[in-house]
Amino acid sequence: MILVVLENQRGNIHPFSIEAVAAGQRFASELNCDLAILCMGEKVDELKNQAQAFKASKLITAKNSMIDMYSADGYSKVLSDIINELSPKYVLMGHSYMVRDFLPRVSAKLNIPFVSDIISVDFNNGSPLYSKQVFNAKLATSIELSSDQALLSFQSAAFSSDDIENGAPETELEFDVQLSDQDIRSESEPEFQESSSGVDLTAAELIVSVGRGIESEDNLPTMQSLADSMGAEVASSRPVVDMGWLPAYRQVGSSGQVVSPKLYFSVGISGAIQHVVGMKGSKNILAINKDEDAPIFEIADYAVVGDLMEIVPKLTEEINKSK
Amino acid sequence: MKIAVLTKAIPSYESSIRVDSSGKWIDESVVNYVVNESDSYALEEALQIKESIGNESEVVVVTLGSEANTSKVIKDGLAKGADRGIFINNKSSTTDPLTIAKLFSEHLKSENFDIVFSGLQSDDMGAGQTGVLIGEMLNMSTATLAIETQAESNKIKVKRELESGWFQWVTLPLPASISIQSGINEPRYPSLKGIMGAKRKELNICDASPENQSQNFVNLYVPKNEKVTEKIEGDVDTVVSKIMDVLKNKLKVI
Amino acid sequence: MLQFSLLEQIALAVFLLSGISFFLYHLLLRLKIVLKGKSDFTVNHLPKRIMRVFNEVILHKKVASGQRKSAGIFHAFVMYGFIFFGLITVNHFGMAFGFPIFNESIRYTYFMYVGAPWAILCTLGILGLAYRRFVIKPKALGKFSSTSALVSVFIVTLMTTYFIDELHILSGSAEKANWWIHSGVIGGFLFLIPQSKHMHLVLSPFNIFLRPFEVPNHGAIPIDMDASEEELDNLLLDLSRLSKDQALDIFTCVECGRCTDVCPANRGGGILDPKYHFILDLKDPMLESGDVNVVDKINVEAGWECTTCQACTEVCPVGNHVEKADEIRSFQVLAEGDVPQEYQKLLRNLQETGNTEGASSSAILDELPAYTSDKELVLWLGCFAKHAMDPNFISSIRNFVKILDSAGVSYGVLSNEQCSGDPANKLGDKLTYQLLMDQNVEELNKVKNVTSMCPHCVVNLQKEYKKYHEIKYAVKHHTQVISELLEQGRIDINPGSLEKVTYHDPCNLSRTLDEVSAPRNAIKAAAPEFFELDESGKETLCCGAGGALWWKKDGGEGRTHLLRAEQVIESKTDTVVTGCNFCYGMMNQGIGPLTPADQEPIKVKDVADIVAENLS
Repeated sequence: MILVVLENQRGNIHPFSIEAVAAGQRFASELNCDLAILCMGEKVDELKNQAQAFKASKLITAKNSMIDMYSADGYSKVLSDIINELSPKYVLMGHSYMVRDFLPRVSAKLNIPFVSDIISVDFNNGSPLYSKQVFNAKLATSIELSSDQALLSFQSAAFSSDDIENGAPETELEFDVQLSDQDIRSESEPEFQESSSGVDLTAAELIVSVGRGIESEDNLPTMQSLADSMGAEVASSRPVVDMGWLPAYRQVGSSGQVVSPKLYFSVGISGAIQHVVGMKGSKNILAINKDEDAPIFEIADYAVVGDLMEIVPKLTEEINKSK
Repeated sequence: MKIAVLTKAIPSYESSIRVDSSGKWIDESVVNYVVNESDSYALEEALQIKESIGNESEVVVVTLGSEANTSKVIKDGLAKGADRGIFINNKSSTTDPLTIAKLFSEHLKSENFDIVFSGLQSDDMGAGQTGVLIGEMLNMSTATLAIETQAESNKIKVKRELESGWFQWVTLPLPASISIQSGINEPRYPSLKGIMGAKRKELNICDASPENQSQNFVNLYVPKNEKVTEKIEGDVDTVVSKIMDVLKNKLKVI
Repeated sequence: MLQFSLLEQIALAVFLLSGISFFLYHLLLRLKIVLKGKSDFTVNHLPKRIMRVFNEVILHKKVASGQRKSAGIFHAFVMYGFIFFGLITVNHFGMAFGFPIFNESIRYTYFMYVGAPWAILCTLGILGLAYRRFVIKPKALGKFSSTSALVSVFIVTLMTTYFIDELHILSGSAEKANWWIHSGVIGGFLFLIPQSKHMHLVLSPFNIFLRPFEVPNHGAIPIDMDASEEELDNLLLDLSRLSKDQALDIFTCVECGRCTDVCPANRGGGILDPKYHFILDLKDPMLESGDVNVVDKINVEAGWECTTCQACTEVCPVGNHVEKADEIRSFQVLAEGDVPQEYQKLLRNLQETGNTEGASSSAILDELPAYTSDKELVLWLGCFAKHAMDPNFISSIRNFVKILDSAGVSYGVLSNEQCSGDPANKLGDKLTYQLLMDQNVEELNKVKNVTSMCPHCVVNLQKEYKKYHEIKYAVKHHTQVISELLEQGRIDINPGSLEKVTYHDPCNLSRTLDEVSAPRNAIKAAAPEFFELDESGKETLCCGAGGALWWKKDGGEGRTHLLRAEQVIESKTDTVVTGCNFCYGMMNQGIGPLTPADQEPIKVKDVADIVAENLS
């Protein structure tokens, strides 16, 4: 059986878990197994409701007041118990911060290998090969397992939530969680956000980055609106900071931050080496520049040769309309 | 207070990373080995705790790997102020996370460390599991991605970094194994006295023979560069709608 | 002629003796501290030193330079006034004891031709200076100075009482009172001078005489890796001590603030204030401890801001070597292990890969011929060129090579060239510096002639390495080589277009290497429309990349790295030429963004570029 474990993100299924469901369905079909989906710990009822949309053999819930708040001790014990009870061949999760925090505990507890941050799977006639990035993504490696069971976590976008087969779980099971006080040694406080006086661009998923091509400080608000419409952070190349248009912590480049967001939307940046080294690890790069020979286009996934002052306001409008 | 800092030697960011003739590992002759970045932060955190608690504490640098690469990692740790070093000599470079953790645990068990710090992941294979695996194997409480710590004689408070700018404080009883996030502090540079004194500090070398492991690294390869630059052309309205398509449907960011 | 009773004579004697003892006590106290300093005063090149004292003290060449010409002239009036009044003063006191040195007629002549004119000029001088200090209030002079106010009052009083005396305006007890006022003020000087900046009266001629010719003059810090713990402790203790020259400098400082005025870090909005951080902050600690172990009193943050450009040292009118970034940084790095994060990576790169960028290969190395012993010249590339720290500079290297080829000069590059170590040296990591230097010297001592396009490399290979090793090779900057080839007729330059061309003097080349003419020979031959920037030659404004600041990550709103680019833009030149790859990089980075939209972007060239473009 394939067991997909859903993670809670403030009352919703974590996007990585949704992709893990897609992975689970694929594993189930390729390996001719049943698929079970587990909702455990935080916000079990909400997760269970949302999981009704996924086609699966079984929907398992594991609820207990002692794991109403996440703890590595609690989650690892409960999941280990579930694995011992149900003996899934594969346990699938998204590679999130929570998974990094507790899944290795399960791996050590049960002596089951944990292959983490997988970018793709080659099902290879029933003995899957897992690919992951190594050496700062300069290389990749293929891993095969000689164990009966495995814990797997997937990098975001390794599987797509688009591929999820809609339907409903066929049966439901409530797992009897056994926990005592001694099992949970840590005390967790509620999660909180910090007001960012110094923005950490390295944590941003979406970045709108401006260069000299925006021509004047007066055009910054237009770019800020684009960023706001996408929920993106604003960054810039060095000349913009040198001219005092933006503070130094927004600078991306060899003498600023090195970022690798999901989308780096560059506007009016030529792509000088000192800037490129700070963002070439971005998963997707979209660049607007009026010069078709701008070096940024060599590393861009999407190249727009045009007048940013015309494109950006219209684009912002369209994005806001679509919300 | 006994604190272990797990440190790893990894290829520097600027090194040429090329697959060697066997196809299973990198060509080490063109690589320059350096201390894994988050491990430096871990060491600094340990040294700061030692400095605040006082003389009854000990910081031990522990590394696992091959001799050629790890000696500078140990020297660096001792030069910065660690009291002694433990080097677990493992010639294989493709040992899997569970096996690595078992090797560490065997050699650390008798030391009874109060705290084990590790970097959140190493910039070579990057599994990011070692600290937590060891924690479980030695029956320690665990936490990961610590962006701040407050250590006391019998417990440690850790500020965990979560996704999207969220954080959480967790209090763990000792012993605890904690992985450290880069940026938690400002790592020191070894002073001249430290560099020269490192030679005189104790270093235990133990041999390790990893058993059969369940994860087999079949090969290393250069990922296909599927970067094809897609040109978006047309008048302003066309361009805008094409970009919308990319953002919405291809990248799914809006 | 005034008559003095025995009582008066005794009172005078006591007064003068107490003044003189006070003066001598404080002078000797300070000299004692100075003598505790490291290394020794050098008195080489005696004739050169005497000339320098003549030029700077008598002719006021530094004091009355640049924008301070008028202030300098006023100061000259005051100084000469003091000098010419020497004999008058001796006569004044001699008279009280019945031993005047002038008889009436000599006295009158002296008054007419020397005393009166100089009294007027001196008064004019001091009033002019007082006006400048108390009314105009230039920023460099700082807050209100009571000693300066007192000195102004004293001098005016002296001159007034002198005139009253010589012109016999008063008589009887009034005349005597006038005499006593004059004496009181002179005695007052004896009490005022030693504990104020006016000590420069006594110390500056000596300080100027003793000033080391080497700029900068930081001592070598050789580190023996096999040293015992005791030897290491001594080395570390020594790091906190000043040299004799430096200690004397601090007591000589006249607090004019010119060093701060010219400092690029200060002008760029940084906190560095050389007058205080490098000099005055150290004075009281020295007096309190009676010793020179005061390096740790230098503001650390200010120390990291310094570009080590030596503008402060160049401008000082009393012979000080101002910059002490080397001292505080060495102390921080070696003794404390305190290195700013952005520099730790740089230093590790140097230790592990022998270059600043952590690179494992260099593309340009493959393009150039290898050095073999039959070649005339070693072309020393330096990290900037080897690792394309500004990719545009690669064409400048090619242009220099083109010039050498055109002149038929044979050259080659060393395959195992390590970083000259300049960043490590400037950051105070003398251990890493030694690592690189030792390897380089071993290779370089096998060759005869070396040239480099990087003045930082030249400074280290030529001057710094000499402090640690016996050097058998000779190093020239590439502009010196080009200039020589031009003079020897081995290359020919046709003047090019009529574009306006100017030259930015790299601080390492113009000040540290004392070379301003070679680049100009080359440029002027190629560009007839050459003009000078403000602050050129040895007064050049540092581009901001020195002192390893090229590798400093932007933290705040500092503009040190943009000041010179702005000046270049304001000069409305078409092309700016420079002789240093770092300056070249800085000009490229700064000029683009800062050029106003309505101005044509300025071309940035190296001397090699403009010459190669115009070779016939």
